[in-house]
Amino acid sequence: MSRETESAPSIQRRLLWFLLPPLAALMLAGVYANYRAATAFVESAYDERLGDAAIALAGSVLADGPRLRVDTSMVPATAHRADHLVALRYAIVSSGGELLAGSREVPAAAASISANPTFADVLVSGEHLRVASYRISIDNAQAVISVAESAAQRAVPGRFILTSTWLMDFIQLDVTLLIVWLGVHFGLKPLLSLRRQIEAGSPRELKHLDATTVPAEVKPLVDALNVLFDVLAEAARSQRRFVADTAHQLRTPITGLLGNLELLMKEPAATALAPRLQALHTGMEHLARSANQLLALARADPSTSFTEQFDAVDLKALAGRIVEGNLTRALNAGLDLGVEAAPVAVRGNVRLLEDLLGNLVDNAIHYTPSCGHVTVRASLREGRPCLEVEDDGPGIPEEQRGRVRERFYRVPGTSGNGCGLGLAIVSEIAEAHGAQFTLESGAQRKGTRARVLFRSAAV
Amino acid sequence: MRILVVEDNDLVADALTLGLGAAGFAVDRAASAEAAHNAFATEHFDLLVVDVGLPGADGLSLVRRLRASGATQPVLILTARDTLAIKVEALNLGADDFLLKPFEQDELIARCRALIRRANLYAGEQVNLGRLRLDVAGRVLRIDELPVELTGREWLVLECLVLNSGRVVSKERLQQAITGFDQALTPNAVEVYVSRVRAKVGDAAVIRTVRGLGYRLDEPRN
Repeated sequence: MSRETESAPSIQRRLLWFLLPPLAALMLAGVYANYRAATAFVESAYDERLGDAAIALAGSVLADGPRLRVDTSMVPATAHRADHLVALRYAIVSSGGELLAGSREVPAAAASISANPTFADVLVSGEHLRVASYRISIDNAQAVISVAESAAQRAVPGRFILTSTWLMDFIQLDVTLLIVWLGVHFGLKPLLSLRRQIEAGSPRELKHLDATTVPAEVKPLVDALNVLFDVLAEAARSQRRFVADTAHQLRTPITGLLGNLELLMKEPAATALAPRLQALHTGMEHLARSANQLLALARADPSTSFTEQFDAVDLKALAGRIVEGNLTRALNAGLDLGVEAAPVAVRGNVRLLEDLLGNLVDNAIHYTPSCGHVTVRASLREGRPCLEVEDDGPGIPEEQRGRVRERFYRVPGTSGNGCGLGLAIVSEIAEAHGAQFTLESGAQRKGTRARVLFRSAAV
Repeated sequence: MRILVVEDNDLVADALTLGLGAAGFAVDRAASAEAAHNAFATEHFDLLVVDVGLPGADGLSLVRRLRASGATQPVLILTARDTLAIKVEALNLGADDFLLKPFEQDELIARCRALIRRANLYAGEQVNLGRLRLDVAGRVLRIDELPVELTGREWLVLECLVLNSGRVVSKERLQQAITGFDQALTPNAVEVYVSRVRAKVGDAAVIRTVRGLGYRLDEPRN
């Protein structure tokens, strides 16, 4: 993935950004509220038990004349009990301040005579205590019963509750986030497949996107794109038509000029002008060749219907036709043009493949000096059909082999009248057929071998 | 030999008329299908050279009309558009050859001569190719008016090459042309016959071996 797409706004990332932090905050608030509710409930339960213990202790306080005393045998077992969760301490203090029973360390909460005990948090020698105090009055004598419990011990179940709520809520949070992430991911799947659909098409093909499978939200976008594609495709079509029409229109006047020039060259009076007339003739041939190449280029465009009309094409017959068509030119240039062909067929467009091989042969004839050899081959290489044109001319320097496929590029310092379209046409047609086009040195590292390797043979 | 050139572009028509005239043909010119049809109805022509892109009725409709009226003369189609459809339609309508613009004068002249030769050969008449003269009915070859003796198979090889002069004739085709004579022949035997014919023709015609394809007979260049 390129850096551009990473920095571009992503709907998926935005959705996750908008959903995940608020959800996480909400979940945390939920954890806190749960914890608070649970601990408040536990606190009140503990207080109630503490109060009950104080009230129960009140039963052991007896009147002994004007004073009060505690019948220790009547102290409920709960006050002594020290189980693993709660250890209760108590103090029963008379109104005179006399400790009637229990431990002096237990402070009293401010308790009034009422039906219910009062509660307080106190700090005694560094220890937090929860105290329930209960004031009783027997025969005008009063006593305060205080029961204390260590806050630290009380916190144990609180922590337990907190841990368990945290744990539960965390699992819930994770599952929720996972669901959100999956939901966003799968919810955006149609966008991803749309992207793949766009990426799959060649940028020059301008094929319609399938609007039936896209989500309703992006359908207007896809429709707009399709309209744009239509406009662009029409513009490209009219440009190609223009190129093709122009090239066609050029052919008739070129024929007339060429014919008259050739007649002129045969006139006895033209002998003195022969070199200049020959130069004119060469220029005219160049013009004719360029018009043909422009036409071939317009045909090779992926958006023409040519790339859709594929049939089985016999490469041997194709090689024969192209060689025969170029034979006179090769003989005039003093070249030996020949074929080495096995019966091989590929699926392709015969017109385009004629352009492909025609341009390779044309190039070879053009750049191979007199007395050279040009050979067209059709063969099977490791089961794949292969077209080759090999010459023993000057060859193309290795560093130029990539560039010569560009339109209008010519190897610096080359002679001849090429306009640099030939190999661009070959490249484009090879691509339209899913074939590999390579340039290498010929036999004995001499000349050029142009090879077009097809994917598979036609049955 | 009289040729009717049907071409509306003056520059091209001039070049064709002058070029074919210089090659020894009598040439008439028509600028439209209608004019061509009228000329054809009143005069005799041995060959028609027809441009496809004519004003009004096009060249192909002219060929259709001529063939429908029973004319058997060879027709050479000229066109600026090299679509397969036009090529196929032209040949289906009864055109004999097809030349894409732009072309060289020599190419056009060679094609015209080949078409007329073929027509004569089929008609069993005398056929001329440069210094060669083939008396088809009597199976006699003359070079510069001197008779050259050919065996039956040698004659068949030469006839096939002359019939297709300027075009490549495959070994298989030559093989087929001469095996009708008696039993089957090997491709090597074809080579032997071609080299014998080549030797007998000498420099009066060029019989080239095209690597991997076959043979091509041309008039020698002057």
